[in-house]
Amino acid sequence: MKPIKIAILSLTHGHTRKYYQTLNDNPGFDWVAVSAESEKVRDVFYQHGYDIPCYMSDKEMLDKHPDIEAVVMASANNRHIEQFRLCAERGIHILSMKVPTFDMDEYDEMISLVEESGIVCQVELEMHYNPVVNRMKKLFSEDELGVISGINATNITLSPVWAFPWQGVPEASYGKRIPLNAGNKRFRGGALCDHPHIFDMIRWLTNSEFDYIFAEVGPNIRVDIEVEDILLVNGKMKNGVSFLFDPSWSRLEERLEVPGPGWEVFPKRMEVNFNISGEKGVMLADCFGPNVYHNGAPNDRYTVQYTYFDEWIGMMDEFIHRVRENEPPMINLQWHKKTIEAMNACYESIQTGQPVYL
Amino acid sequence: MVNYIKEATNKLARKYEVEDKSELNLLPGWQFLDKKLTNNDIPLLSWRYNRKFIELKKIVAQEVVEDVSMLRFCSLGDPGIWSLNSLMYRELDLCEFLTGSKIVSLHATLSSNLAGNIIVKMESGVIGSIEIGIQVPSGKPLIERHEIIARRGVASDIVVDTQVPQNSIYTYTQKGDFGYKDTDNELFGMDEFQVEWARSSFELLKSPGQSEQLIKQHNHLSRLVKSALESNSNKLKVKVV
Repeated sequence: MKPIKIAILSLTHGHTRKYYQTLNDNPGFDWVAVSAESEKVRDVFYQHGYDIPCYMSDKEMLDKHPDIEAVVMASANNRHIEQFRLCAERGIHILSMKVPTFDMDEYDEMISLVEESGIVCQVELEMHYNPVVNRMKKLFSEDELGVISGINATNITLSPVWAFPWQGVPEASYGKRIPLNAGNKRFRGGALCDHPHIFDMIRWLTNSEFDYIFAEVGPNIRVDIEVEDILLVNGKMKNGVSFLFDPSWSRLEERLEVPGPGWEVFPKRMEVNFNISGEKGVMLADCFGPNVYHNGAPNDRYTVQYTYFDEWIGMMDEFIHRVRENEPPMINLQWHKKTIEAMNACYESIQTGQPVYL
Repeated sequence: MVNYIKEATNKLARKYEVEDKSELNLLPGWQFLDKKLTNNDIPLLSWRYNRKFIELKKIVAQEVVEDVSMLRFCSLGDPGIWSLNSLMYRELDLCEFLTGSKIVSLHATLSSNLAGNIIVKMESGVIGSIEIGIQVPSGKPLIERHEIIARRGVASDIVVDTQVPQNSIYTYTQKGDFGYKDTDNELFGMDEFQVEWARSSFELLKSPGQSEQLIKQHNHLSRLVKSALESNSNKLKVKVV
């Protein structure tokens, strides 16, 4: 199969560096170029040592490399719509970040752009390619738990705002500056916007959609950011499954400008865990464990050193296949729309103080 | 089993456009203990491709823990899969792999080919203990621990305040209690040991030049196992030449 000529846009998303090795190693790709949003971002990219040209504008890069067939859109959420337009106009396939946009008019425009231009657009929800999730899905398909009654899921991390500042800027992360609720000095765009996975996973695992959803924010543990960092969500799916989600930034971090060793203050910087109850029993899953552990450099703190991060391999294998076969990916814009609607419903619930029906 | 691993290795070779050499007999090195190697036999150090050992090695090599003083290893297995010698082979290699130093002496006390305790000394001065046994009931997973103690920090594949390796998923259902640990989505369905075997086979196909070094290390590990048996028989510390 002919390798796909691919580029990365912007380099400002927290997941950007996860793509480097896959684009470099997978013979299905010919990694052609990257564009950077600032000189600082460009310099960080150069430190990784890849011999890939870096441009300071998307358009310049695409003009200089008209053979680019696909891009990883690794940018802030508020930049996605213009980049979608640019790519659709040129017939360039898109690997979108996990939040294409929270603006549902923009979202519909993205769907139209993809349909009308005939490009392939896959949404980066890498948990679908996680081996533990794969096992959960298998156990579900084998009816190991019987009829499911309740799911508790966490997607809790440190906050990336110091390394990726746009994630703490309401306009860049949520797309608009909207207070969380009356009299609140904080705005939409924080931890919730960073954590769509559990909203997506529950739909996939239960094969059901959200019925209603309720969310509550707590006092921020980082008092100097203007977006939410602690919240809880519960509700029911249309098939009656009750759920509880924790999508908080509840693990503190060192305020590093470039992620690296010693970033975490709490030993485990990121977890996606599930507790699931069914008529035949219960399942407890840790999608990022077990690992290895140390209390060495740089901070002599007990630290989880992760061992399993190969989601990007499977996800990009699917992207190659879908582009070459010109088929809609498993995780496409239409599928993901209901997840984004549910996340918006959380903000609406925080605003009104009541559950929101979907 | 061998065919299953070959199939997985072949899948990786096709995906990454690496030439597959099906004539090679790629097995974990301990399977060649006490056997004369033929031309196609390659004794793999498959555990070195287990992600947990790769990360532990990095922690030492990158001086996240600095100035290692002691290793505390334990490996208790199912006798249907493991022998005392095969566990010794694997753990002795891990001592050298994780510290980057060679074993220069050892003292072993072994009981009826069922259990044993070994103290090793590395060229670097690091000492290590290896606890091995094959009295875990059939079907149970390998109970292992690899702890590295340094002047700055401790590293381990066991989480603090626990005694046994953890799983990613636990189910408690009417069928009983089960644990699942899936570590590699590209090779989904294989257990941890099958994954490391397939990964090490693939790496050999990618870099065939490493076979000479693998055979050299196999010969060295075979001598170490023999030395442990001698040490036990003679009740003496043995220097490894």
